[in-house]
Amino acid sequence: MKAIIATTVFGVIMMFAGLWVNDKKSIAGLATFLFAALLGVTIWDLTTTSVNSPKSLFNDMLRSEHYSLWFNTIMTGCSLLYVLLMGKEVQKVGKYVSEYFALIFFILCGLYLLSMYNNLLMMFIGIEILSIPQYILAGSDKRNLKSSEASLKYFLMGAFSTGILLMGITLLYGAARTFNITEMVTLMHSDALNPLALAGILFIMIAFSFKVSAAPMHMWTPDVYDGSPTVFTAFMATVVKSAAFFAFLRLFQVSFNSLSEHWVMVLAIITAATLLVGNVTAVFQQSVKRMLAYSSIAQAGFMLFAVLAVNAVAWQGIIIYAVAYSVATIGIFAVLVKLKDYTYDGFNGLAQREPLLAFVTTIFLFSLAGIPLTGGFMAKYYVLLAVVQQGQLMWLVIFALLMAAISVYYYFRVIIAMYFKAGTPEISSPVTGGDKFMLVVTCALVILLGVLPQLFLTKV
Amino acid sequence: MANLVYLVPLFPLIGFLINGIFWKRMPKTLGGVIGCVAILASFIISLGIFFEVKSASFQGPLVVKLFDFIQSGNLNIHFDFQVDALSSLFLLIITGIGFLIHVYSTSYMGHDEGMVKYFAYLNLFVFSMLLLVLGANYLIMFIGWEGVGLCSYLLIGFWFKNRDYTNAAKKAFVMNRIGDLGFLVGMLLILFNYGTLAYQDVFAKLPAAHTETSSMYNWIALCLFIGAMGKSAQIPLYTWLPDAMAGPTPVSALIHAATMVTAGIYMIARSHALYDLAPMALDLVAVIGLATALLAATIALYQNDIKKVLAYSTVSQLGFMFLALGVGAYTTGVFHVMTHAFFKALLFLGAGSVIHAMGGEQDIKNMGGLRKKLPITYITFLIGVLAIAGFPFTSGFVSKDEILLAVYEHNKVFFYLAAFAAVLTAIYMFRLLMLVFMGGFRGTHDQEHHLHESPAAITIPLIILAIFSLVGGFVQIPHLFGGHDYLNQFLGKAGVPAVIHEGPGLEMKEWTLFGATCVGLLVIFLATKKLFAVSQFDGNYSGFKKVLANKWYVDELYDTIIVKPIGALSGILDKFAEKAGIDGLVNGVGKTVRWGGDRMRLLQTGQVGFYIFIMVLGMVALFTLGFFWIK
Repeated sequence: MKAIIATTVFGVIMMFAGLWVNDKKSIAGLATFLFAALLGVTIWDLTTTSVNSPKSLFNDMLRSEHYSLWFNTIMTGCSLLYVLLMGKEVQKVGKYVSEYFALIFFILCGLYLLSMYNNLLMMFIGIEILSIPQYILAGSDKRNLKSSEASLKYFLMGAFSTGILLMGITLLYGAARTFNITEMVTLMHSDALNPLALAGILFIMIAFSFKVSAAPMHMWTPDVYDGSPTVFTAFMATVVKSAAFFAFLRLFQVSFNSLSEHWVMVLAIITAATLLVGNVTAVFQQSVKRMLAYSSIAQAGFMLFAVLAVNAVAWQGIIIYAVAYSVATIGIFAVLVKLKDYTYDGFNGLAQREPLLAFVTTIFLFSLAGIPLTGGFMAKYYVLLAVVQQGQLMWLVIFALLMAAISVYYYFRVIIAMYFKAGTPEISSPVTGGDKFMLVVTCALVILLGVLPQLFLTKV
Repeated sequence: MANLVYLVPLFPLIGFLINGIFWKRMPKTLGGVIGCVAILASFIISLGIFFEVKSASFQGPLVVKLFDFIQSGNLNIHFDFQVDALSSLFLLIITGIGFLIHVYSTSYMGHDEGMVKYFAYLNLFVFSMLLLVLGANYLIMFIGWEGVGLCSYLLIGFWFKNRDYTNAAKKAFVMNRIGDLGFLVGMLLILFNYGTLAYQDVFAKLPAAHTETSSMYNWIALCLFIGAMGKSAQIPLYTWLPDAMAGPTPVSALIHAATMVTAGIYMIARSHALYDLAPMALDLVAVIGLATALLAATIALYQNDIKKVLAYSTVSQLGFMFLALGVGAYTTGVFHVMTHAFFKALLFLGAGSVIHAMGGEQDIKNMGGLRKKLPITYITFLIGVLAIAGFPFTSGFVSKDEILLAVYEHNKVFFYLAAFAAVLTAIYMFRLLMLVFMGGFRGTHDQEHHLHESPAAITIPLIILAIFSLVGGFVQIPHLFGGHDYLNQFLGKAGVPAVIHEGPGLEMKEWTLFGATCVGLLVIFLATKKLFAVSQFDGNYSGFKKVLANKWYVDELYDTIIVKPIGALSGILDKFAEKAGIDGLVNGVGKTVRWGGDRMRLLQTGQVGFYIFIMVLGMVALFTLGFFWIK
């Protein structure tokens, strides 16, 4: 609650700061300070809410559950990490640095709404607040045609998916006569499910699939992620996607849990298709940035397991997956922006030129591939465990493991290029001691997640 | 004090980490000091633990819980240490003798550029061994067991630029792995049958001795014994130990005296409750032990490498220990481990001192008459030889006498064969002593010129070990000489059973043994001098002697019947199964995925209209599924 107000105020402050301050560096410094302050506010929110009794806000429009606040805190932490790692790169995108940071604050506002909504309208507003700044960020590199193309494509297809989402909400309202997601549970019965309600659930599922880039609604992802300025791709692919997943899980866990027999198979097919498309298509990419776009589809396939499971472990799974995936991906993008050439060949010989960069990249890739002792392993473990505990869909778990094996191929190609191929990678901006320090901190976080995942879990 | 037991392995681990991480930059002296201090600290705590265990107030085995190690379903394995008489005695042997060997190494390895790395390995070795004896369940023992195997590999191949040395290291590792497989299977059998690996829980589930027979006990005991065969160098897995001489000499001392080879004895003594129920496996232990004792003793007769003689003597003495275990005299086996640790460490370190003085020469053909130039080494070595040969009242006499007595009461044929092996022991040890220290020098003039006594860091450990080799047996003086069985009583607290000798005729038997030993040794001493023609020794053998000098051609036999056929088989499998079958399958899967990726990539046309068309198609498909297929 305090965080929602704070992030809005901070966003406005950033916008006005752009009017008075022309120095990009001071703006970035101010932004970093405000992100740190925001993290403080989320922690304040977290500590002042008791674990067992969620607070109902604004006439039950929002409900601040403990795990929601925990998610907010962790994601704000990831955003702070993002700003610390990439603040310098944000300054290079264009003239309006303060506005980029302001938009990121507004995105976080959408994230907070999505983790706490208790009403379909708030969910809709949250998704729009989350999405619209992204359309702008995607096109922020105005001189670059690809960036403008990405922005326009994202906007067009996003508008399409918004239509689907609204359709779903309307149908659900028709069936349940309420927007309140907790009240909705009692009004729909599994044995005689209204076809309106089922259609509504499927429409909402498809709209969310679009937001989390699950097949067959994933088509926008490679083009948008590839075309957008790399710094903003990093944010979209991590924090934003995690927020969409959290909202997805929240609705399906709270409202549609008891109806899972009606939709679980459809979602299982979406999951299988997502894993297949993401992993298999990533194999043939020549650009690491585009490979990461497909990998984000593949990782979305794993996160969908949490939604499939609808149990307590799923909450732990989504939180640990969100943070493990976000931290590692932000780390990889932080290395990527340092390079001029985004193809695999651009990484050739990096281990000789920048051994530390090559090492941390290796750890991040290990984490994405799910190698033990990294966060990615624990994340995959928890989401798969959640499904295994449900005792069905074992075929999907096995399929996911096979797909994870494929992912090793395209992740390790980068490692092979860095360590075993000769070449002189071109560095676009000098790697300073501060950069190295932040990368090592990020790397340490990845390993900490893999060794002591309990630190990042909370009571659900 | 016993609650601080976790410190005992912790210090060597810290020493290993410090030396292991900074070995490139650390000064040699500092590395040596860190290595020694780590073991000394462990030794002091071990002493404290020992006296606490020895005190009357100590009640039964103490299990010190450290943390939960593996929890999965019904399987629940804790990382616990067990403190009792058996483990505390081994702690003393490992850290005490280990410390002396560390001190010795500071001088012996002083000129080696990899000295800090060497100390890191040495500390890791001791750490692994401590883990092995301290673990309160078989899994932790297994971790230590594997760690010991790894460290022996690292140390035997320490001078890895020499191809033969790395081959010896590989041989040791592979032989040990064969044994480890047996241990692993035994462990799984225990887990499968009893659902736990903790000693106390497993043994509590065993029925009282001899009330119930089941082939399962024999199978478990047999599998565990296969593990012991590998680690403690028994037939047929003994050939790695003599080759392990490739490592630096103090490492040999460490492997032969304090760590590694005693692991098998410890494991069987620890599992005695199980072996008591497995008479067949126990008989096998005795037979294998006896056969190994004899075989190794005959080989040792005609070896020309000073360390090889000692190596085969270790194999032979280990055979004696297993013989003792096999006839049910568990405490006696452990007792011989202890006395053997004293004199074998002494002999190896003495041999190291000789090699050091000879400038790296190990062939006794080129030695002789060293007693004048190396007086301290000579005297201590002599004490070691007397002890291992069983000269009355030395430690070796007491323990071997006890083994023979136990065997005599078990089986007369075994006794005569074991006594014969003991005679052989005396012969080859006297031969070694004479060829090295007596007569005239047979080496080059240059070597003679360089002969010198070793520095204090080498001689002081020798002197300390010599004293223990002399008096170490007094904890268990034979009944005949009015002694006590302190050790039996001590180990009895851990529930390790002893063979109690009593009844009429006992004194007679002991007198016979004692008398025979005295007379026998004198005869052997005189005979050896003639038999081996010390004065004109040239190191060449013919006829049967050559067979013995070539170790009964066992290495060649293994090579022909095992290594070569496996090599041929692997060649065939590589050609047909691997390249054609498995590679084809694996590459086929990879190619299919790549092909799929190449096709699927084309779906991404970049046209928004096409994307939305695909989305709509997907939605229609999902709706059809959701409405008509599911329910």
